[in-house]
Amino acid sequence: MLRGLLVLILSITAFAQKPSFTVGWSIYAGWTPYYYMNKAGILRKWADKYGIAIKVQRFDYAPSLDAFVARNIDACAMTNMEALDMPAASGVPTTVVLIGDYSNGNDAVLVRGGLQLKDLAGKKMLLVEKTVSEYLFDRAMTLNGLRDQIKRVRLINTSDSDIATAFLGDTSANAVVTWKPMVSQISKQKGIASLFNSSQIPGEILDLTVVRTDVLNRPDGAGRKFAQALSGAWYEMLAMMSAAGPAGDKVLAAIAEGSQDTLASYKEQLSTTKMFYTPQSAAAFGASPDLKQKMALVRQFCFDHGLLGANTRSLDEVAIRYPDGSVQGKADRVRLVFDLGYMQMAAGGKL
Amino acid sequence: MPLIEIRDVSVAYGTPTRPVLDRVSLAIEEGEFVCLLGQTGCGKSTLLRLVLGAERPAAGRILVDGRVHHQPDRTRGYVPQKYSLFPDKTVLDNITFGPEVCEFGLAARLTPRFFRRRREFRRQAFEYLQRIGLEPSDAAKYPDQLSGGMQQRVAIAQALITRPRILLMDEAFSALDPGTRKGMQRLIRQLWKDTGATILFVTHNTHEALRLGTRVVVLAKEMPDSGSRVMLDLPVPEPCRDDDIPRLVRRLESASTSSDPLAPASALSEKW
Amino acid sequence: MPAAFLLIHAKPSRAWSVLLSWTLFAAGIGAYFYVSHARHRDNPEDRVMPTIAQMARGMYNAALQPAEEDEATAPPDNFVQRFFGSMLWKDTRASARRFFYSMALLVPAVLLGLHMGLFPYAGSFFLRFILFFDKIVALSLLPILFIAFGIDELAKVMLIVIGVAPTIILDTFNLVRGVPAEQTVKAFTLGAGDFDVAYRVVLKQVMPRILNSIRLNLKSVMLFLFAGEMIASTDGLAFRIALLRRHMGMDVIIPYVLWVALLLFLVDLGMRRLNRMLHPWFRES
Repeated sequence: MLRGLLVLILSITAFAQKPSFTVGWSIYAGWTPYYYMNKAGILRKWADKYGIAIKVQRFDYAPSLDAFVARNIDACAMTNMEALDMPAASGVPTTVVLIGDYSNGNDAVLVRGGLQLKDLAGKKMLLVEKTVSEYLFDRAMTLNGLRDQIKRVRLINTSDSDIATAFLGDTSANAVVTWKPMVSQISKQKGIASLFNSSQIPGEILDLTVVRTDVLNRPDGAGRKFAQALSGAWYEMLAMMSAAGPAGDKVLAAIAEGSQDTLASYKEQLSTTKMFYTPQSAAAFGASPDLKQKMALVRQFCFDHGLLGANTRSLDEVAIRYPDGSVQGKADRVRLVFDLGYMQMAAGGKL
Repeated sequence: MPLIEIRDVSVAYGTPTRPVLDRVSLAIEEGEFVCLLGQTGCGKSTLLRLVLGAERPAAGRILVDGRVHHQPDRTRGYVPQKYSLFPDKTVLDNITFGPEVCEFGLAARLTPRFFRRRREFRRQAFEYLQRIGLEPSDAAKYPDQLSGGMQQRVAIAQALITRPRILLMDEAFSALDPGTRKGMQRLIRQLWKDTGATILFVTHNTHEALRLGTRVVVLAKEMPDSGSRVMLDLPVPEPCRDDDIPRLVRRLESASTSSDPLAPASALSEKW
Repeated sequence: MPAAFLLIHAKPSRAWSVLLSWTLFAAGIGAYFYVSHARHRDNPEDRVMPTIAQMARGMYNAALQPAEEDEATAPPDNFVQRFFGSMLWKDTRASARRFFYSMALLVPAVLLGLHMGLFPYAGSFFLRFILFFDKIVALSLLPILFIAFGIDELAKVMLIVIGVAPTIILDTFNLVRGVPAEQTVKAFTLGAGDFDVAYRVVLKQVMPRILNSIRLNLKSVMLFLFAGEMIASTDGLAFRIALLRRHMGMDVIIPYVLWVALLLFLVDLGMRRLNRMLHPWFRES
């Protein structure tokens, strides 16, 4: 009896002493797997293996970024653009440990009334300003040689939770830039056409899992264990997702449930999301020179729109280090690091 | 034909209904000063509101000048115990309110004729101010800058300036201190003589009723659960001699407390 | 005697009262700058709690430079002209316009409450519905608002009106009901008609209380205004805050929030002054 109690107390204290980490995610096709990883115990299994504890918390997107910048959570799912302009530009050095996917049609520029990109000057366009939506629009205009007209479009900053009803309800709005599932909702309406989508700029809107660099570099090594556990769990999850047939569907349906979605709708979203299902493919993308080129476009956009902060005088003050050791910007001001180590470990089966 | 005729009027309130007035009949001739006397809760204010037209009887009819009136209007002036003046208007504006609304609607108040006419109203108002014993300097004051007695004086002037044939006063002096009250009684008696108006004056003070009225009507309940009826209708000798008063007070008080033999007769005899 | 200063009967001197009333301000400001300083020592690029110099610079830029989305014209050298071309002024003007439109739309609300309180048929017709409508959380009606009023100014103004008007209507209704019956009866006996009673007697005497009630609801007005601007807009104080939040522009957000507080305080003060000026007879009781 007494021994049993003692064991219990010891196990509780042992549990309490385990380093604990929190990962935040928000609803998006490429991130909802976190819901299932937590629910099905995959994350717990890998955390136990590394002797740590991992908590998972769902946020709305913007608050998840705030929580990460305020150091309230240790890891967070976000896009490459936000990784650069939120934590990195706020002096919270950040390391990319997982490259999950890129948007391959998830984000789109939609119009009504048969308009073309060249007709948009002076028209009303709904979008969440200063996000990948505005980036997508910027790129659409640039690629079509309409860069000088960007300023003439009347942008209306619209909250993502209301953007679908706002656009459908108000026919005086001519265009909208948003992402799935809102894109699917809006496209169902008659007379809506898609002018441009993210499959035309592959690999520029990346969905990542990032960890604060200072957490990763904890002297007790628990931060690295945390990243390893995340990586292990992540690729176990993706393997289950990519399984063919009913087994895979069952998993996908369970994931869809995490965002109150249906299997069909979730599959439709995945069809326009280029998932890196294997660690090899993710690591290969991370090592390619493509990544540097695309990040160069994104950081230029962030800087032009003042997203790097009023105090950032030069583009190079928020520098990015790539896996090959090269740095975009000033070497002493590296704030965002792409670390392929954890993906490579998963690829090599070393986790 | 009497000016005010109350015929078999009954009133009941609440659920389950509690009778307040039970087949009350009363006829008041033009020029009378009738004091309605009774204990608190006997229904004398209800009767006054019925004559005003602010309330309707459950049974019976009330004819004023031969007609039934469904709402208060300018044939019957009104001076309640409290809230008789408009707090947002100065003394002068309170007094001229009546003539202004009688002659000018909301829109007509913007015409130049109104401003010319208002000068006349104001001149009249100053006359009344003097008659009720206020200084011209009081004209610009707001009601809550005046004492209770002053307020009631203004309320009387406000009611009289439209020259109503009937003036209904509901415990008009009950909240005043004895000294002020005496002065007010003298004033209203004088105004009654000057204007020839018919006055129905509700009070619970026997001495006040005798001092003011040409006629005192006592309302009281016969049984604790029944409605009030007219228990006594007493003409007051004119002039009322001081040595008559104790006898009349005894008569009135025995009538108004008939339903409640335990109540001390002196309960009503507030001194003035 | 030693602990007497804590008692109900304590009589702090004027100096003490003044000192005490500012203590929490000083403590709040002090705590902010202490934490901010600590954070900046730890991370010089911290954006969560900007230093006073950063906020001053942020506010200086906001108040003297045009908004990013506006075409940059040659900056006028006149200080006042620069202010009137600035981002802060542009946002303040946009929000103020919506604010005053909504205030103007509260006038019919007051009149409706007045009529409901005085005219029994109007009361029976409206009261139950408005009591019910008052309990509806206006923000949850957004999709309907978008469909009915579009996403422009009208929808934002209507959001405020729908959110605040029922409260004002019911408040007016209760205030009107609270006017002693003697007052209306007296007015009728003086020859007044129904509308004289409604507008010259009742409305005039409840007006100061209605103004007070609107004053107390200023915060709700502001809350709905901000919600509307954050959901869809191209300018306005809350639009800017929502936009700056996207990249943690706290150096501008914090001064903006203080600016809004100051404006609201001035509106409140102005309404109090106006109330006293228009209704010298009114005593708060």
